[in-house]
Amino acid sequence: EMYMQYERVGADVTMKCGSMDWDAAVTWTANGTDINESHLNGSYLILKNVDLSQSGHYSCYEGSSWHLKYQTYLRVGTPPKEPVLMCRSNNYPKGFYCSWHLPTPTYIPNVFNISVIHGTKEMVCEKDAVPKNRCHIRYLQLFSTVKYKVTLTVTNALGKNFTTLTFDEFAIVKPDPPESVVAKPVPNNPRRLEVSWQNPSSWPDPESFPLKFFLRYRPLILDQWQHVELSDGTSHTITDAYAGKEYIIQVAAKDNDIGTWSDWSVAVHATPWTEEPKHLTTEAQITETTSASTSSFMAPPTTKICDKGAVVGSGAVAVCWTAGLVVAAYSVLFI
Amino acid sequence: GDSWGIFTFLCAALCNLPALPALNCSEELGAGQSIQQTYDLTRYLEHQLRTLAGTYLNYLGPPFNEPDFNPPRLARAERVPSATVDLDLWRGLTDNARLAANYRAYSRLLCYLRVLDGQVGTAELRHRLAHFCASLQGLVLSIGGVMSSLGYPLPAGPAGPPAPPGAPTAPNDFLKKMDDFWLLKELQTWLWRSAKDFNRLKKKVPPAVVTLRLEARGF
Repeated sequence: EMYMQYERVGADVTMKCGSMDWDAAVTWTANGTDINESHLNGSYLILKNVDLSQSGHYSCYEGSSWHLKYQTYLRVGTPPKEPVLMCRSNNYPKGFYCSWHLPTPTYIPNVFNISVIHGTKEMVCEKDAVPKNRCHIRYLQLFSTVKYKVTLTVTNALGKNFTTLTFDEFAIVKPDPPESVVAKPVPNNPRRLEVSWQNPSSWPDPESFPLKFFLRYRPLILDQWQHVELSDGTSHTITDAYAGKEYIIQVAAKDNDIGTWSDWSVAVHATPWTEEPKHLTTEAQITETTSASTSSFMAPPTTKICDKGAVVGSGAVAVCWTAGLVVAAYSVLFI
Repeated sequence: GDSWGIFTFLCAALCNLPALPALNCSEELGAGQSIQQTYDLTRYLEHQLRTLAGTYLNYLGPPFNEPDFNPPRLARAERVPSATVDLDLWRGLTDNARLAANYRAYSRLLCYLRVLDGQVGTAELRHRLAHFCASLQGLVLSIGGVMSSLGYPLPAGPAGPPAPPGAPTAPNDFLKKMDDFWLLKELQTWLWRSAKDFNRLKKKVPPAVVTLRLEARGF
């Protein structure tokens, strides 16, 4: 018959060889390897100040007959420290979830038990399959004056611990970050970037529970963020971007009235539209046959300006050039 | 006993809100605009309440001013209609019912706050309470205005005694403080609920509909 025993790190462990007398001749093995007699006190195995590496399978055999007299599985671990508990409603008004973990591992199996009390009622927090250290609760009532009290108890063979959270319904509301954030340059506008995003998919009812948003952006080369708070809509045009600089942009969401801001969304990068530098299309360049240049040649965007009622001729070309120069000057001015 | 009678009299006297004329300005702007204004008012009041509640709870002293204070709700007659509501029920409320619930709740709350005003000790607290009551009165009028402009009848005012006669007022100082604590809690919860109520109303009442109604009524 195999026993299982749990001992604390640093404890002194004495293993008896079953019903054998103290003065019987025995041999102990640890994971199949003989243990030196120096660790024995008679037929008892003494392990002082045990550490994690001493976890394993211990067997005791009668000296001459080599009969197996006793075996045990030793697991060295620690009693649980106070667990870390967090509760959050990212799907208001449907309900909330709580998730937990231990600040340090115990190295032995732990059992978690969660209880949720609302006033006098005990509510059931349904455990999620994945991740395992999480459970969710559906609100039965909204706009409650009574707080929720969540108690998490963790127990293992060496001890137990617990922690409690008490909160109001509205205090734990924190949406997930906005999704599908997209930032695009605006054609012919060197200082603009068009940003759009979507409500987080976990937010069930943006109609009755609208979200407001916080946008932050900065050019990669600077550390200071610009901020814009938006009370509705899921898009915004930045109009003061530095021309030609790559920007990093993020968005956060919050219920219009209650709770806290979400984490920042995934960052998106975008650079405002710039006029393509004009290539002097001399005869020589056109006759160049490098495949690279011909395949990557793009008509300069200024042709659009000139396209409107463009008349082929030197006059129109002069207009194009002027327009190009003006745009270039404008960009340089605002770098 | 005696104190109950005084309480009832005080409430009846202070709560005799006159029949509300529909606010001219809200009709001109349309219900959509005044719903927005009412929403803004609830947010403003919520903000004001935070300061007022902090001061008042400090006045009540511990344990009422402790952030973790989470007492059980005693089985006393609840004086104010609670903001707490079943989710599906709340969703399914008609515009009229939604507005009426808010109107009734704030009328009652205003009434109780005014009684409180007469009882508190410090001048600072009296001043804050008076200011808050004035703002709360504005909110009640604003909700009334929205209801009128949408053609809904105003709910009957809190004329009679707010609780069934014979129900005792707090028999001791501690329980009286508990009552005050819960009053502030209900007020806070209503303000937070109203924001959601008016959000919903904002989406459901397009100004165009109201303009038609106004024209039909000869404005």
